[in-house]
Amino acid sequence: MDKLKKEFSKIYDKFVEKIFRFIFLKVNSKEIAEDLTSETFLRTWEVFRQGNPKIENVSAFLYQIARNLITDYYREKGRAKIISPDLGHPIADPRQNLEEQTILNSEMERIRKALSKLDEDYQNAIIWYYLDELPIQEVANLLDRTVPATRVLISRAIKALREKLNNQQLDNKQQTTNSV
Amino acid sequence: MMTEKEVIEKIRLLKQIKPEKNWVFLNKEKILGKEPIFFPFLKPAFAGLLFILIIFGLSFTSLPGEPFYLIKKLVERGQTVFVPEEERPKLELELANKRLEELSKIAEKNDVKKLAPAINEAKESVAQATKNLVKSKKVDKEIVQKTLELEKKKQEVEKVLGTKITEEGTEDPTKLVAKYLIEDFENRTLTQDQKQILEKAKEYFESGDFAKALELLLTISQ
Repeated sequence: MDKLKKEFSKIYDKFVEKIFRFIFLKVNSKEIAEDLTSETFLRTWEVFRQGNPKIENVSAFLYQIARNLITDYYREKGRAKIISPDLGHPIADPRQNLEEQTILNSEMERIRKALSKLDEDYQNAIIWYYLDELPIQEVANLLDRTVPATRVLISRAIKALREKLNNQQLDNKQQTTNSV
Repeated sequence: MMTEKEVIEKIRLLKQIKPEKNWVFLNKEKILGKEPIFFPFLKPAFAGLLFILIIFGLSFTSLPGEPFYLIKKLVERGQTVFVPEEERPKLELELANKRLEELSKIAEKNDVKKLAPAINEAKESVAQATKNLVKSKKVDKEIVQKTLELEKKKQEVEKVLGTKITEEGTEDPTKLVAKYLIEDFENRTLTQDQKQILEKAKEYFESGDFAKALELLLTISQ
Protein backbone atom coordinates (compact mmCIF):
# COMPACT_ATOMS: atom_id res chain seq x y z
CA MET A 1 0.00 0.00 0.00
CA ASP A 2 2.87 2.34 0.79
CA LYS A 3 4.21 1.94 -2.72
CA LEU A 4 0.85 2.90 -4.17
CA LYS A 5 0.61 5.87 -1.86
CA LYS A 6 4.03 7.06 -2.88
CA GLU A 7 3.13 6.71 -6.52
CA PHE A 8 -0.11 8.55 -6.12
CA SER A 9 1.55 11.21 -4.04
CA LYS A 10 3.76 11.98 -7.03
CA ILE A 11 0.74 12.12 -9.31
CA TYR A 12 -0.98 14.45 -6.88
CA ASP A 13 1.99 16.77 -6.72
CA LYS A 14 2.28 16.85 -10.48
CA PHE A 15 -1.36 17.58 -11.24
CA VAL A 16 -3.00 19.28 -8.29
CA GLU A 17 -2.26 22.81 -9.48
CA LYS A 18 -3.35 22.02 -13.02
CA ILE A 19 -6.61 20.42 -11.96
CA PHE A 20 -7.33 23.25 -9.54
CA ARG A 21 -6.74 25.85 -12.19
CA PHE A 22 -8.79 23.93 -14.77
CA ILE A 23 -11.74 23.75 -12.40
CA PHE A 24 -11.35 27.31 -11.15
CA LEU A 25 -11.51 28.71 -14.66
CA LYS A 26 -14.84 26.96 -15.10
CA VAL A 27 -16.48 27.65 -11.75
CA ASN A 28 -14.85 30.95 -10.83
CA SER A 29 -14.78 30.22 -7.12
CA LYS A 30 -11.79 29.27 -5.00
CA GLU A 31 -13.87 27.35 -2.50
CA ILE A 32 -15.76 25.37 -5.10
CA ALA A 33 -12.56 24.72 -7.03
CA GLU A 34 -10.98 23.36 -3.86
CA ASP A 35 -13.94 21.10 -3.17
CA LEU A 36 -14.10 19.74 -6.68
CA THR A 37 -10.33 19.32 -6.93
CA SER A 38 -10.34 17.40 -3.69
CA GLU A 39 -13.15 15.21 -4.93
CA THR A 40 -11.35 14.62 -8.23
CA PHE A 41 -8.25 13.29 -6.50
CA LEU A 42 -10.22 11.33 -3.96
CA ARG A 43 -12.13 9.48 -6.66
CA THR A 44 -8.99 8.91 -8.68
CA TRP A 45 -7.20 7.53 -5.63
CA GLU A 46 -10.05 5.10 -4.97
CA VAL A 47 -9.71 3.67 -8.45
CA PHE A 48 -5.92 3.86 -8.44
CA ARG A 49 -5.38 1.93 -5.26
CA GLN A 50 -7.69 -0.88 -6.27
CA GLY A 51 -5.83 -1.17 -9.55
CA ASN A 52 -9.02 -2.44 -11.13
CA PRO A 53 -9.57 -1.09 -13.66
CA LYS A 54 -5.99 -0.05 -14.10
CA ILE A 55 -5.68 3.59 -15.05
CA GLU A 56 -3.77 3.75 -18.30
CA ASN A 57 -3.51 7.51 -18.53
CA VAL A 58 -3.74 9.21 -15.17
CA SER A 59 -3.72 12.71 -16.59
CA ALA A 60 -6.68 11.99 -18.87
CA PHE A 61 -8.47 10.26 -16.02
CA LEU A 62 -8.07 13.23 -13.73
CA TYR A 63 -9.30 15.75 -16.27
CA GLN A 64 -12.26 13.55 -17.16
CA ILE A 65 -13.28 13.23 -13.51
CA ALA A 66 -12.88 16.98 -13.12
CA ARG A 67 -15.06 17.64 -16.15
CA ASN A 68 -17.72 15.28 -14.87
CA LEU A 69 -17.71 16.97 -11.49
CA ILE A 70 -18.02 20.41 -13.06
CA THR A 71 -20.99 19.20 -15.10
CA ASP A 72 -22.57 17.73 -11.99
CA TYR A 73 -21.94 20.92 -10.11
CA TYR A 74 -23.74 23.06 -12.66
CA ARG A 75 -26.55 20.57 -12.97
CA GLU A 76 -27.06 20.52 -9.23
CA LYS A 77 -26.97 24.22 -8.96
CA GLY A 78 -29.56 24.37 -11.70
CA ARG A 79 -27.67 26.73 -13.80
CA ALA A 80 -25.89 26.51 -17.14
CA LYS A 81 -22.91 28.67 -17.98
CA ILE A 82 -25.19 31.41 -19.17
CA ILE A 83 -23.90 34.84 -19.47
CA SER A 84 -26.52 37.39 -18.70
CA PRO A 85 -26.80 39.62 -21.75
CA ASP A 86 -27.59 42.64 -19.60
CA LEU A 87 -24.87 42.31 -17.04
CA GLY A 88 -22.19 41.01 -19.35
CA HIS A 89 -20.81 38.67 -16.72
CA PRO A 90 -21.78 35.32 -15.18
CA ILE A 91 -24.31 35.19 -12.36
CA ALA A 92 -22.35 35.29 -9.17
CA ASP A 93 -22.34 32.17 -7.05
CA PRO A 94 -23.82 32.89 -3.61
CA ARG A 95 -20.78 31.32 -1.99
CA GLN A 96 -18.56 33.81 -3.64
CA ASN A 97 -17.56 36.73 -1.56
CA LEU A 98 -15.48 39.78 -2.19
CA GLU A 99 -12.38 38.06 -0.93
CA GLU A 100 -12.62 35.33 -3.54
CA GLN A 101 -13.30 37.77 -6.31
CA THR A 102 -9.98 39.43 -5.72
CA ILE A 103 -8.00 36.26 -6.39
CA LEU A 104 -7.61 37.50 -9.88
CA ASN A 105 -6.45 40.93 -10.71
CA SER A 106 -8.58 42.84 -13.16
CA GLU A 107 -6.60 41.85 -16.21
CA MET A 108 -6.69 38.18 -15.31
CA GLU A 109 -10.37 38.47 -14.61
CA ARG A 110 -10.90 39.93 -18.03
CA ILE A 111 -9.14 37.04 -19.73
CA ARG A 112 -10.91 34.47 -17.59
CA LYS A 113 -14.23 35.99 -18.51
CA ALA A 114 -13.44 35.97 -22.19
CA LEU A 115 -12.26 32.37 -21.98
CA SER A 116 -15.40 31.27 -20.19
CA LYS A 117 -17.45 32.55 -23.10
CA LEU A 118 -15.84 30.16 -25.56
CA ASP A 119 -17.10 26.73 -26.55
CA GLU A 120 -16.02 24.06 -24.16
CA ASP A 121 -13.62 22.41 -26.63
CA TYR A 122 -11.96 25.76 -27.37
CA GLN A 123 -11.65 26.53 -23.68
CA ASN A 124 -10.18 23.14 -22.90
CA ALA A 125 -7.78 23.22 -25.84
CA ILE A 126 -6.41 26.58 -24.68
CA ILE A 127 -6.17 25.52 -21.04
CA TRP A 128 -4.48 22.22 -21.78
CA TYR A 129 -2.08 23.46 -24.43
CA TYR A 130 -1.11 26.92 -23.21
CA LEU A 131 -1.66 26.77 -19.48
CA ASP A 132 -1.07 23.15 -18.51
CA GLU A 133 1.43 22.81 -21.34
CA LEU A 134 0.44 19.30 -22.13
CA PRO A 135 2.04 17.77 -25.23
CA ILE A 136 -0.04 18.08 -28.36
CA GLN A 137 -0.63 14.33 -28.49
CA GLU A 138 -2.09 14.37 -25.01
CA VAL A 139 -4.34 17.31 -25.85
CA ALA A 140 -5.46 15.41 -28.94
CA ASN A 141 -6.27 12.34 -26.80
CA LEU A 142 -8.24 14.41 -24.35
CA LEU A 143 -10.18 16.04 -27.14
CA ASP A 144 -10.58 12.73 -28.91
CA ARG A 145 -9.12 14.10 -32.10
CA THR A 146 -6.10 13.58 -34.30
CA VAL A 147 -3.04 15.75 -33.77
CA PRO A 148 -3.53 17.79 -36.99
CA ALA A 149 -7.18 18.33 -36.11
CA THR A 150 -6.14 19.44 -32.64
CA ARG A 151 -3.70 21.97 -34.03
CA VAL A 152 -6.45 23.42 -36.14
CA LEU A 153 -8.75 23.53 -33.15
CA ILE A 154 -6.18 25.34 -31.04
CA SER A 155 -5.61 27.88 -33.75
CA ARG A 156 -9.33 28.53 -34.02
CA ALA A 157 -9.63 28.77 -30.26
CA ILE A 158 -7.01 31.51 -30.13
CA LYS A 159 -8.78 33.42 -32.85
CA ALA A 160 -12.09 33.08 -31.01
CA LEU A 161 -10.54 34.29 -27.79
CA ARG A 162 -8.94 37.21 -29.50
CA GLU A 163 -12.33 38.22 -30.82
CA LYS A 164 -13.91 37.95 -27.39
CA LEU A 165 -11.19 40.06 -25.84
CA ASN A 166 -11.59 42.57 -28.54
CA ASN A 167 -15.35 42.68 -28.07
CA GLN A 168 -14.81 43.17 -24.38
CA GLN A 169 -12.66 46.18 -25.02
CA LEU A 170 -15.28 47.59 -27.32
CA ASP A 171 -18.00 46.91 -24.80
CA ASN A 172 -16.03 48.65 -22.11
CA LYS A 173 -15.45 51.65 -24.31
CA GLN A 174 -19.15 51.74 -25.17
CA GLN A 175 -20.08 51.65 -21.49
CA THR A 176 -17.68 54.42 -20.71
CA THR A 177 -19.10 56.51 -23.51
CA ASN A 178 -22.67 55.82 -22.39
CA SER A 179 -21.99 56.73 -18.81
CA VAL A 180 -20.56 60.06 -19.71
CA MET B 1 -6.79 44.23 -32.60
CA MET B 2 -4.43 42.07 -30.59
CA THR B 3 -2.06 39.73 -32.35
CA GLU B 4 -2.27 36.00 -31.66
CA LYS B 5 1.05 36.23 -29.89
CA GLU B 6 -0.38 38.87 -27.56
CA VAL B 7 -3.42 36.70 -26.90
CA ILE B 8 -1.22 33.78 -25.94
CA GLU B 9 0.74 36.05 -23.59
CA LYS B 10 -2.51 37.12 -21.96
CA ILE B 11 -3.57 33.49 -21.57
CA ARG B 12 -0.31 32.72 -19.82
CA LEU B 13 -1.14 35.33 -17.17
CA LEU B 14 -3.67 32.82 -15.91
CA LYS B 15 -0.82 30.55 -14.84
CA GLN B 16 -0.81 32.58 -11.68
CA ILE B 17 -4.00 30.85 -10.65
CA LYS B 18 -2.85 28.39 -8.04
CA PRO B 19 -4.30 26.71 -4.99
CA GLU B 20 -3.01 27.71 -1.56
CA LYS B 21 0.00 25.66 -0.49
CA ASN B 22 -1.54 24.93 2.86
CA TRP B 23 -4.67 23.59 1.30
CA VAL B 24 -2.63 21.44 -1.12
CA PHE B 25 -0.79 19.84 1.79
CA LEU B 26 -3.84 19.30 3.98
CA ASN B 27 -5.86 17.97 1.10
CA LYS B 28 -3.20 15.39 0.31
CA GLU B 29 -3.24 14.29 3.94
CA LYS B 30 -7.00 14.02 3.80
CA ILE B 31 -6.85 11.72 0.81
CA LEU B 32 -3.79 9.64 1.57
CA GLY B 33 -3.68 9.87 5.33
CA LYS B 34 -1.05 11.57 7.42
CA GLU B 35 2.48 11.03 6.21
CA PRO B 36 4.88 11.20 9.13
CA ILE B 37 7.84 13.36 8.21
CA PHE B 38 10.47 10.88 9.18
CA PHE B 39 8.25 7.99 8.30
CA PRO B 40 10.70 5.11 8.58
CA PHE B 41 11.33 6.03 12.19
CA LEU B 42 7.79 5.24 13.22
CA LYS B 43 7.67 1.80 11.69
CA PRO B 44 7.74 -0.75 14.51
CA ALA B 45 10.50 -2.82 12.97
CA PHE B 46 12.73 0.19 12.48
CA ALA B 47 11.96 1.62 15.90
CA GLY B 48 12.74 -1.74 17.46
CA LEU B 49 16.06 -1.94 15.67
CA LEU B 50 16.94 1.61 16.66
CA PHE B 51 16.15 0.79 20.28
CA ILE B 52 18.41 -2.24 20.19
CA LEU B 53 21.24 -0.26 18.62
CA ILE B 54 20.97 2.46 21.27
CA ILE B 55 21.04 -0.05 24.10
CA PHE B 56 23.92 -1.84 22.40
CA GLY B 57 25.86 1.41 22.15
CA LEU B 58 25.13 2.37 25.74
CA SER B 59 26.31 -1.01 26.94
CA PHE B 60 29.83 -0.61 25.52
CA THR B 61 31.19 1.52 28.30
CA SER B 62 29.20 0.02 31.12
CA LEU B 63 30.95 -1.55 34.08
CA PRO B 64 29.98 -4.39 36.42
CA GLY B 65 27.16 -3.24 38.64
CA GLU B 66 25.86 -0.77 36.03
CA PRO B 67 22.52 -1.14 34.20
CA PHE B 68 23.61 -2.24 30.75
CA TYR B 69 26.47 -4.45 31.84
CA LEU B 70 24.46 -7.60 31.46
CA ILE B 71 23.69 -6.66 27.88
CA LYS B 72 27.36 -6.03 27.22
CA LYS B 73 28.14 -9.50 28.52
CA LEU B 74 25.39 -11.06 26.44
CA VAL B 75 26.67 -9.33 23.33
CA GLU B 76 30.17 -10.57 24.03
CA ARG B 77 28.87 -14.09 24.59
CA GLY B 78 26.93 -13.78 21.37
CA GLN B 79 30.13 -12.93 19.55
CA THR B 80 31.81 -16.06 20.82
CA VAL B 81 29.19 -18.23 19.13
CA PHE B 82 30.63 -17.49 15.73
CA VAL B 83 34.23 -17.98 16.72
CA PRO B 84 35.77 -21.27 15.57
CA GLU B 85 37.04 -23.66 18.25
CA GLU B 86 40.71 -22.94 17.69
CA GLU B 87 40.19 -19.21 18.18
CA ARG B 88 38.37 -19.65 21.49
CA PRO B 89 41.38 -19.46 23.80
CA LYS B 90 42.43 -16.18 22.22
CA LEU B 91 38.95 -14.74 22.55
CA GLU B 92 38.58 -15.83 26.17
CA LEU B 93 41.90 -14.22 26.96
CA GLU B 94 40.71 -11.00 25.36
CA LEU B 95 37.53 -11.07 27.40
CA ALA B 96 39.52 -11.73 30.56
CA ASN B 97 41.67 -8.73 29.67
CA LYS B 98 38.56 -6.62 29.31
CA ARG B 99 37.27 -7.71 32.69
CA LEU B 100 40.54 -6.80 34.30
CA GLU B 101 40.48 -3.40 32.63
CA GLU B 102 37.02 -2.79 34.00
CA LEU B 103 38.15 -3.88 37.42
CA SER B 104 41.14 -1.61 37.20
CA LYS B 105 38.90 1.37 36.34
CA ILE B 106 36.64 0.63 39.26
CA ALA B 107 39.59 0.17 41.59
CA GLU B 108 41.05 3.51 40.51
CA LYS B 109 37.77 5.28 41.09
CA ASN B 110 37.44 3.50 44.36
CA ASP B 111 33.88 2.66 43.44
CA VAL B 112 33.15 0.41 46.36
CA LYS B 113 29.71 -0.70 45.23
CA LYS B 114 30.94 -2.03 41.91
CA LEU B 115 34.08 -3.62 43.28
CA ALA B 116 32.63 -6.95 44.39
CA PRO B 117 30.80 -7.69 41.12
CA ALA B 118 33.84 -6.58 39.12
CA ILE B 119 36.19 -8.87 41.02
CA ASN B 120 33.80 -11.74 40.47
CA GLU B 121 33.62 -11.00 36.79
CA ALA B 122 37.38 -10.89 36.54
CA LYS B 123 37.80 -14.18 38.43
CA GLU B 124 35.25 -15.90 36.27
CA SER B 125 36.72 -14.70 33.02
CA VAL B 126 40.24 -15.72 34.00
CA ALA B 127 38.95 -19.14 34.97
CA GLN B 128 37.15 -19.39 31.66
CA ALA B 129 40.28 -18.49 29.75
CA THR B 130 42.20 -21.13 31.68
CA LYS B 131 39.58 -23.74 30.93
CA ASN B 132 39.81 -23.03 27.23
CA LEU B 133 43.55 -23.24 27.23
CA VAL B 134 43.39 -26.62 28.95
CA LYS B 135 40.99 -27.82 26.30
CA SER B 136 42.97 -26.64 23.31
CA LYS B 137 46.50 -27.04 24.58
CA LYS B 138 47.54 -25.03 21.56
CA VAL B 139 49.77 -22.07 22.14
CA ASP B 140 50.92 -19.55 19.60
CA LYS B 141 52.66 -16.22 19.77
CA GLU B 142 49.46 -14.23 19.99
CA ILE B 143 48.19 -16.30 22.87
CA VAL B 144 51.47 -15.86 24.67
CA GLN B 145 51.30 -12.11 24.21
CA LYS B 146 47.74 -11.90 25.38
CA THR B 147 48.54 -14.05 28.35
CA LEU B 148 51.42 -11.82 29.31
CA GLU B 149 49.15 -8.80 28.94
CA LEU B 150 46.62 -10.45 31.18
CA GLU B 151 49.24 -11.29 33.76
CA LYS B 152 50.51 -7.74 33.82
CA LYS B 153 47.02 -6.33 34.30
CA LYS B 154 46.27 -8.87 36.97
CA GLN B 155 49.36 -7.95 38.95
CA GLU B 156 48.60 -4.23 38.68
CA VAL B 157 45.06 -4.67 39.89
CA GLU B 158 46.10 -7.01 42.70
CA LYS B 159 48.57 -4.38 43.84
CA VAL B 160 45.89 -1.67 43.92
CA LEU B 161 43.32 -3.88 45.59
CA GLY B 162 45.67 -5.68 47.90
CA THR B 163 44.01 -9.03 47.13
CA LYS B 164 44.61 -11.83 44.71
CA ILE B 165 42.34 -12.35 41.72
CA THR B 166 43.21 -15.99 41.25
CA GLU B 167 43.64 -18.33 44.17
CA GLU B 168 47.14 -19.52 45.05
CA GLY B 169 48.06 -22.88 43.57
CA THR B 170 45.22 -22.94 41.07
CA GLU B 171 46.00 -23.15 37.42
CA ASP B 172 46.02 -19.76 35.80
CA PRO B 173 46.56 -18.86 32.18
CA THR B 174 50.12 -17.75 32.60
CA LYS B 175 51.20 -20.96 34.27
CA LEU B 176 49.36 -23.07 31.75
CA VAL B 177 50.74 -21.28 28.73
CA ALA B 178 54.24 -21.46 30.10
CA LYS B 179 53.80 -25.16 30.81
CA TYR B 180 52.59 -25.89 27.31
CA LEU B 181 55.34 -23.87 25.73
CA ILE B 182 58.02 -25.64 27.71
CA GLU B 183 56.61 -29.00 26.72
CA ASP B 184 56.47 -27.89 23.14
CA PHE B 185 60.09 -26.68 23.06
CA GLU B 186 61.37 -29.81 24.75
CA ASN B 187 60.09 -31.82 21.84
CA ARG B 188 61.83 -29.64 19.28
CA THR B 189 65.37 -29.36 18.05
CA LEU B 190 66.85 -26.19 19.48
CA THR B 191 70.08 -24.32 19.04
CA GLN B 192 72.49 -24.13 21.92
CA ASP B 193 71.39 -20.59 22.78
CA GLN B 194 67.77 -21.56 22.65
CA LYS B 195 68.43 -24.51 24.94
CA GLN B 196 70.01 -22.21 27.48
CA ILE B 197 67.02 -19.84 27.44
CA LEU B 198 64.70 -22.79 27.87
CA GLU B 199 66.59 -23.95 30.97
CA LYS B 200 66.43 -20.48 32.44
CA ALA B 201 62.69 -20.34 31.73
CA LYS B 202 62.21 -23.69 33.45
CA GLU B 203 63.98 -22.36 36.51
CA TYR B 204 61.60 -19.39 36.69
CA PHE B 205 58.70 -21.77 36.20
CA GLU B 206 59.79 -23.97 39.09
CA SER B 207 60.14 -20.95 41.31
CA GLY B 208 56.63 -19.83 40.48
CA ASP B 209 57.45 -16.79 38.36
CA PHE B 210 55.38 -17.90 35.38
CA ALA B 211 55.31 -14.47 33.78
CA LYS B 212 59.09 -14.27 33.66
CA ALA B 213 59.28 -17.80 32.29
CA LEU B 214 56.82 -16.90 29.58
CA GLU B 215 58.71 -13.78 28.61
CA LEU B 216 61.87 -15.80 28.14
CA LEU B 217 60.07 -18.50 26.21
CA LEU B 218 58.74 -15.83 23.88
CA THR B 219 62.29 -14.92 22.93
CA ILE B 220 62.99 -18.50 21.83
CA SER B 221 60.17 -18.51 19.29
CA GLN B 222 61.26 -15.16 17.82
